Amino acid sequence: MFKPHLIAGAIAFALVLPAAARAQTNPQLEDIRKQIQDLKESYDARIQALEKQLKEAEDAAAKAQSAATQAQSAAGQAKQSAEAAAAQSSASKPPASPSAFNPGLSLILMGGYYNSDQDPRTRSVTGFLGSDQYALPNRGFDLGETEIQISANIDHLFYGQATFSIEDGVITAEEAFFQTTAIGHGFTVKAGRFFSGIGYFNSVHNHAWDFQDAALVQKAFLGDNFGLDGVQVSWIAPVSSLYVELGGEGGKPVDFPFADSSFNSNGFQVGTAFAHLGGDIGASSSYRLGAWGLTSENGIAGQPIPALNFTGFSNTLSGGSDNLWGLDFVYKWAPNGDPSYQNFKFVTEWMHRSLNGSLTFAPGTAQTQTGGFTANQWGWYAQAVYQFHPYWRVGLRYDQLNEGVYDLGSGLVAAPGLAPPDFTPKRWSAMIDWSPSEFSRFRLQFQQDKSQQGLTDNQVFLQYIFSLGTHGAHKF
Amino acid sequence: MKTFLNLLALGALLACPAAASGALNIFACEPEWGALAREIGGDRVGVYVATTALQDPHKIQARPSLIAQARVADLVVCSGAELEVGWMPVVIGQSGNNKIGIGKPGNLEAANYVPLKEVPTLLDRSLGDVHPRGNPHIQWDPHNILLVAEELARRLGNIDPGGKNYYDARLTSFAQRWGQATQRWAQEAAPLKGVAVIEHHKELTYLFDWLGMPVVGALEPKPGVEPTSAHLSELVEQQKINPAQLIVITTQKSPEAASWLSGQIKVKHIALPATVGGTPGAKDLFSMYDEAINRLLAAEKS
Repeated sequence: MFKPHLIAGAIAFALVLPAAARAQTNPQLEDIRKQIQDLKESYDARIQALEKQLKEAEDAAAKAQSAATQAQSAAGQAKQSAEAAAAQSSASKPPASPSAFNPGLSLILMGGYYNSDQDPRTRSVTGFLGSDQYALPNRGFDLGETEIQISANIDHLFYGQATFSIEDGVITAEEAFFQTTAIGHGFTVKAGRFFSGIGYFNSVHNHAWDFQDAALVQKAFLGDNFGLDGVQVSWIAPVSSLYVELGGEGGKPVDFPFADSSFNSNGFQVGTAFAHLGGDIGASSSYRLGAWGLTSENGIAGQPIPALNFTGFSNTLSGGSDNLWGLDFVYKWAPNGDPSYQNFKFVTEWMHRSLNGSLTFAPGTAQTQTGGFTANQWGWYAQAVYQFHPYWRVGLRYDQLNEGVYDLGSGLVAAPGLAPPDFTPKRWSAMIDWSPSEFSRFRLQFQQDKSQQGLTDNQVFLQYIFSLGTHGAHKF
Repeated sequence: MKTFLNLLALGALLACPAAASGALNIFACEPEWGALAREIGGDRVGVYVATTALQDPHKIQARPSLIAQARVADLVVCSGAELEVGWMPVVIGQSGNNKIGIGKPGNLEAANYVPLKEVPTLLDRSLGDVHPRGNPHIQWDPHNILLVAEELARRLGNIDPGGKNYYDARLTSFAQRWGQATQRWAQEAAPLKGVAVIEHHKELTYLFDWLGMPVVGALEPKPGVEPTSAHLSELVEQQKINPAQLIVITTQKSPEAASWLSGQIKVKHIALPATVGGTPGAKDLFSMYDEAINRLLAAEKS
């Protein structure tokens, strides 16, 4: 009985209280309103005064125009300083937090679907890559590689960049280097872990490839991207009409097909030299030509030769070196040099490898032989990619490897296992991709792979590549 | 290896005819800054223009020729505000030229010296390729040209102190002529005030703002995304509510979408030079503005 009364009372009180408060604060509010009104009036007066001044200045300028051009300049100057003031006041203030210095960060998402006639785990490239080295993706849906790239100027002298690749729980530093920005005279020094500047394809990151995979010759001789822990020096010639770049690198190779970087010895285990020439042909075309050489100590001691994929015979190679050289050519075309609507790109590379060392070879039950051994092999690819419509590109690529010749030193007797296989690995690839923006791409690729003796492997790749974060800049 | 060394030697031979002369080398990212550099620098500068009016300066690649030119540059002049973000960082980084790095006197980003329009309040890539700092196509407001000219003269005097008086005198002369021309354009363009337009990209925003021409639509659904048929149909619908009197694109863009829409909504479409060199008449900064205003007036009258 009591309760409703109490509640009603409470409600009544609650309703009355704010009203009372309002009544109480009203004079204060009035005060504030008055103050605001005063402020507004004084602003209005000031704005009017400014407008008047401006009008006067404009009138003065207009009058002066007929008299002399001198005043015009003053008016221009006045306008300039007015604009400059506007610029200053409208320019957004940089954030005053430590995160304002965060480096550029981008994340690459890649993945897709792979379908093939043959089991990728048993696939090899005859005479070049064993089944554990060809590294085709697993069949079916596969996440592939996720990439994180971080970069920024370190200070007034250095720039730093790191690219981490995450794949199936393994994080690898693909690249992590610093680079000089202040030497001048065309010189740049890079040190740390980086993709070698040899060839065209080698320094291109996975997400910027024109096809899902690397060319066979690239895979067989250099791995997808040949990287090294070491130092690179490059120099651009002071010639405005022709691009001339000379460079060299020294250090320790990171990955297959060279011995891994865990080997422990003083000095350089790999050295490279490269040269590039390039320029424009008219407004629509541009090109770049390159030549390079590489020499690497053979880190594989007392192991079968992985690079030759000898099968069925006991063999080990010790010492010696892996010497490569190559030529590369890139040509690009776009109408009037504007690639927005249509563009065309042609790339070809040729590489030669000479692998030598001391071979110990046991042909079945016969006596073990040991002697100097050199395998000379080469390969090439050519590819063309055409953007025929905004967002749409088609591409065609042909790959070929040549089994080459093996030179046998004294101590080795010609035997069936000591001759190169009578087989030329070949592959055709065709792709179409759709890139609705600069940050996304979907690709469909068909491939007829005849790189393993006696097999034809028809492959289909469906791939997506997304780029999040910093708007990247890409090399030519 | 021998063949390789021979190639190196060939490269060194080709490198011999060096191009460096006495003049300051200016690398202009876009033609408008090349033209401005010629106005202010006169005979004391040699100007290389990296792009043409028929190229989208956002989609250029870091071609070897650009790196070679950047290698010998004393000053690079670019629009900035991320317009050249896809190629200039690579060009500068690979050039091995320490004079033109960011923050150096030899690196002039025009957008740093003018008030930028259309600064986005929301940064999200779903909104297209928006430029976080604002619209970088600043060449179409004559006041901006003057502001950049002033900074350019200051930089030139800084890099080449011997020519400081020369640059200042040329700036004064240019500012006088430019001030007169600006007044003349404003008078001539008076009939354009209030004429509603549909543009292609946001590359003429500064011009339309200056001339008081309301922009009621863009052919691109989002900045940097080519026109789609769905979006063009929307523009046809929109014409009933918020009609445009002109469709204005630049000669850098394909006229396909503008021409289609023009046929649908019975509104004239014209193309202005995107910058100096965009039409045969647009030979320098003055004639570029003349050309744009004359073309707009001619279209408005007919």
